[in-house]
Amino acid sequence: MNINTDLKKQNTYDAIVVGSGISGGWAAKELTEKGLKVLMLERGMNIEHIKDYDSAMKSPWEFEHAGKLTEEQKRTHPVQTRDYPYNEATEKWWVNDLECPYTEDKRFDWYRGFHVGGKSLMWGRQSYRFSDHNFEDNAKDGHGNDWPIRYKDISPWYDYAEKFIGVSGQNENWPLLPDGHFLPPMDLNCVEKSVKERIEKQYNKSRILTIGRTANLTVPHNGRGNCQYRNLCSRGCPFGAYFSTQSSTLPAAMATKRLTVRPYSIVNHIIYDKDTKKAKGVMVIDAETNETMEFYAKIVFVNGSTLGSTFVLLNSTSEAHPTGLGNGSGQLGHNLMDHHFRCGAEGSAEGFEDKYTYGRRANGIYIPRYQNIGNDKRDYLRGFGYQGGASRGSWHKEVAELAFGQNFKETMSLPADSWSMGLGGFGEMLPYYENKVYIDHTKKDKWGQPVLAIDCEYKENEAKMREDMMNDAAEMLEAAGMKNVKAYDNDCYPGMAIHEMGTARMGNDPKTSVLNKWNQMHEVNNVFVTDGSCMPSIACQNPSLTFMALTARACDYAVKELKKGNI
Amino acid sequence: MNRRQALKNVAFLMGGAISATTMGVLFESFTVPEKEKNFITFSASDEETLAEFAEIIIPTTTSSAGAKAAGLGAFIPMMVRDCYPAKMQEIFANGLQAMNERCTKEFNKSFISLTTAERVQIVTELKDEALAANKTPSFFIIARDLTILGYFSSEIGCTAAREYLPVPGRYDGSAPYSPGQKAWATN
Repeated sequence: MNINTDLKKQNTYDAIVVGSGISGGWAAKELTEKGLKVLMLERGMNIEHIKDYDSAMKSPWEFEHAGKLTEEQKRTHPVQTRDYPYNEATEKWWVNDLECPYTEDKRFDWYRGFHVGGKSLMWGRQSYRFSDHNFEDNAKDGHGNDWPIRYKDISPWYDYAEKFIGVSGQNENWPLLPDGHFLPPMDLNCVEKSVKERIEKQYNKSRILTIGRTANLTVPHNGRGNCQYRNLCSRGCPFGAYFSTQSSTLPAAMATKRLTVRPYSIVNHIIYDKDTKKAKGVMVIDAETNETMEFYAKIVFVNGSTLGSTFVLLNSTSEAHPTGLGNGSGQLGHNLMDHHFRCGAEGSAEGFEDKYTYGRRANGIYIPRYQNIGNDKRDYLRGFGYQGGASRGSWHKEVAELAFGQNFKETMSLPADSWSMGLGGFGEMLPYYENKVYIDHTKKDKWGQPVLAIDCEYKENEAKMREDMMNDAAEMLEAAGMKNVKAYDNDCYPGMAIHEMGTARMGNDPKTSVLNKWNQMHEVNNVFVTDGSCMPSIACQNPSLTFMALTARACDYAVKELKKGNI
Repeated sequence: MNRRQALKNVAFLMGGAISATTMGVLFESFTVPEKEKNFITFSASDEETLAEFAEIIIPTTTSSAGAKAAGLGAFIPMMVRDCYPAKMQEIFANGLQAMNERCTKEFNKSFISLTTAERVQIVTELKDEALAANKTPSFFIIARDLTILGYFSSEIGCTAAREYLPVPGRYDGSAPYSPGQKAWATN
């Protein structure tokens, strides 16, 4: 008996999926449902649906620090603390930055979660289709490379993804934001309804306001419960009411009995076989024991998040691929993009003092892109959309500064005297070759791996767009009758939108792109990359739904090719 | 137009009740060197003083118990120790001591021994000084902020002062509001 042969057999699957987040979960579901025996590798801990959502049912007073971070958490999480997502209630989801450092040639806020489910547990759930405008912009204005697909190629896969995960929303017949298969929309509140009516009248429907399209269920769907309007999605949902790997794709994949999930498995590199010119598997570092091991498969899906996947590919060097797997084009690691946001305007609404909200809607409004289309011309390329909403919070402008005592307490126990309405822009960033990541061998992570260096910045097109993101918001709020309208720009650095994309782009030409139109590597045909790294441009819509659709489409193609014996 | 000037209005977005100092400490990031951690310790009588201070900020009223009953006497020093950098801890501790010295000077009594009216007088003096100092970090600013934060996330604050609805089950964005109706405890 040959032990080595046995071990090899034991570690061999039909397919390996690297990563268990939004796109990895989808790959696991699709490949197992199509009959493949799949190993899904996740670098972090296991998270069991519901059981491991530790803070999900806690009341505010059950948190020791009222939701705030300790100095120790700030010390160990110097990047994760740069913005709001990491707090006492969600601390489990975010990485200890000291264990996995990276080099910032320019400031880049890299938010990461190492656990089964990845960022599908923490995502914002906004789910929008890209339109042909988005797929054609690169070709039209010459930035980046042409998308190898158009809307018709992905449209049936958007249908497929939406139907499975459940997206609530409203069809609007808006050219830049294709309609979809939606569960009943959540309600706009009274102020948002008024703002919608007045904006659409003012601009003669050349701008529209709709309820956010969100992967939160408004009715039970595929065995999952509907949203309970707690607005605590960021802790994990015990009702399974928003899409995550755990609530949605993982149960489907597990039901096939063909999925093996291995947590604490850091994929260090993809093993390339120079004879077959294919990937034969992956080398894994066990995150708990630091042992290394190999797993083998006929196809490898790389879904480790944009920069995670790009690291693995850059780190997979061989004689045939000296600068990273499938990097003959030299584009691997380049063209890094993220949305730019954190600017817009706010105002207060008068005349709604007799209205309040019941329930907490984990969703807002959406104004899809209307710039640089038709007669709307700007002095920059592409455009932006708005997210926002109205609320009656607990801010009391009549309270004197630093007030205290009985009257103060009583006032603070009442809702705000007026509603406020905010619009925050979400802008497209152009692909720039010089915005890049590369491997920095001068540093090591906790597991002895080199680290990623990130050299990325917004440029003039983004800066010009931000002016309009403020001004248009202020104008619309004024047109909608809001008072005390204030525009703001709270500064933005790449990474903050947690929509990093583009570092292993798709394209028709192997000389200028890493992946073909099926998310298949031009140079290594049994490797597929279907997370955000594949995106030749990022539009201004939230991208996760597109990753899901592209993943399902790529899986369909990969299995067909496998069955034909082509890979 | 002036209104198009970009504002750094984080406080506006988050609700103006809490000071910029607390915003900075609790919501923004900076790294604290290891050796500067846990600068300060608090005694049992400090906790008693802080409980009475907090009770002046948010007193017991007919509708609900106040900050003392909500456990702010222990919450405030715990938060200062765990969540504030050494320099702020020092400002807080020195300010607490200075407040007691002021009580001795003005009333020849410690803060805990003062009548409610005397405590209000002292706290008003601290408030006026904080306003005059343009709200630079001080004991008063930090302790008041933590009182507000702690009280409105305490069980008493959430369920008695405000109304807590853990699982609404539905959303109505145009619900009737009648004057005096309490605010929801969470957003």
